[in-house]
Amino acid sequence: MESLRDIRQNIKAIRSTQQIMQTMKMISSARIRKAQEAMDNARPFAKKMLDMVADLKQEVLALPEPEEGKESWASRFFVNKTGDKNKIGLVVITGDKGLAGSFNAVILRAAVAFLKEHQDQEVSVFCIGKKGRDFIGRLRHKNIKIVYSSVGIFPKVTYAHAELLGEAVMKEFFEHNLSSVTLIYNDFKSMGSQRLAQYEMLPFELDHEVKKDDEKEFLFEPGVKEIFRTLVPRLMKANMYRVLLESQAANLAATMNAMDAASKNAGELADALGVKLNKVRQAGITNEILDIVNGANALNG
Amino acid sequence: MSKTLTLNLITPQKQLLDALPVQSVVLPAAAGELGVLPGHIPMVVQLDFGSLRYKKDGKEEEFAVLGGFAEILRDSVNVFAEGADLADEIDEEEEKQKIKRAKESLSRKDADIDFELAELEIKQAIARMKVKKRHLG
Repeated sequence: MESLRDIRQNIKAIRSTQQIMQTMKMISSARIRKAQEAMDNARPFAKKMLDMVADLKQEVLALPEPEEGKESWASRFFVNKTGDKNKIGLVVITGDKGLAGSFNAVILRAAVAFLKEHQDQEVSVFCIGKKGRDFIGRLRHKNIKIVYSSVGIFPKVTYAHAELLGEAVMKEFFEHNLSSVTLIYNDFKSMGSQRLAQYEMLPFELDHEVKKDDEKEFLFEPGVKEIFRTLVPRLMKANMYRVLLESQAANLAATMNAMDAASKNAGELADALGVKLNKVRQAGITNEILDIVNGANALNG
Repeated sequence: MSKTLTLNLITPQKQLLDALPVQSVVLPAAAGELGVLPGHIPMVVQLDFGSLRYKKDGKEEEFAVLGGFAEILRDSVNVFAEGADLADEIDEEEEKQKIKRAKESLSRKDADIDFELAELEIKQAIARMKVKKRHLG
């Protein structure tokens, strides 16, 4: 049987761990408000920008191709007929540390499934978050290479981070002639739940319905090509920014929930040990009383 | 045709103006300032650092805009700015401090200074100060 001292020590350890978990939960819940606010503020930009590009879709598709068999820059971005089918990209956004339930596991599982499915193709991987970088770095497959990674940006994502990521993805997409880029991240659905999101972010799909407006013929200043040269990367970065903020909020929410559950479990464990402690102590006392009574009886006998 | 334009001013960080009805807008287009009245021909322009002004009920408001795009439709203007500050809220002293700090870090020849960032900061601060001066004068 465990001694009283052992049990007491055990309880103490559990209580102090619980305290740490509770603190982590508080920190997350304090940060999450800010993260949510940033996310809500960033949403209109990305959305309105999409609306605008959808308005311009006809103009893009009408752009003349530079040469036979070559695709114009903007067209590559939206249609991408000439990308190398054997080269694809993958953006994986995880957290920097665990302690967030299945937050990272869900993403990495999806990433592995994706990589398996495309194991015959060359995959350029962009990792945000330490967990993803470390995990994918360990895979060591000849077709998988990490071209960009960024760690430690949560929970302080800024537009600059999105710019760097967007820049890297664009560069690889055009220089390496990728045929598509897929994005895997966690969407912030509510405080209680995150949802795995996986979609092809390049070529850029414009499933937006174009507003019915027959006088939509745009003038461009400076020229239509120059506009697209700067507008398209901007659009992409705005989108990346939104995704990073979603991930950030989702990560904080997941941490909060995981820590809440963990500290509840710790509490239950400590209570159970408390009961055990009392039982052991009582058993000890009973034994002592028995000893005394027996001794007294023997003397009187 | 309506007599007002709907003005949206959005930055990646925040939506500053949400569907504000205005009478006219002046944009800092890359090729020079561009005035927009209701019924303007649809247009997409690239924006430079500069001042964005709009008239609402005879009153003029001004923002310092730090580059971006504007989509002009017949009855609305959507401005996608990299950054934007209300002219009234720009503090010249603060901007001067920013320039000073950036210049200091530029003159220190340490390795890990982001030169581009520092230069950009200076440019932005100067643009904000210009708009502020314009707004006051």
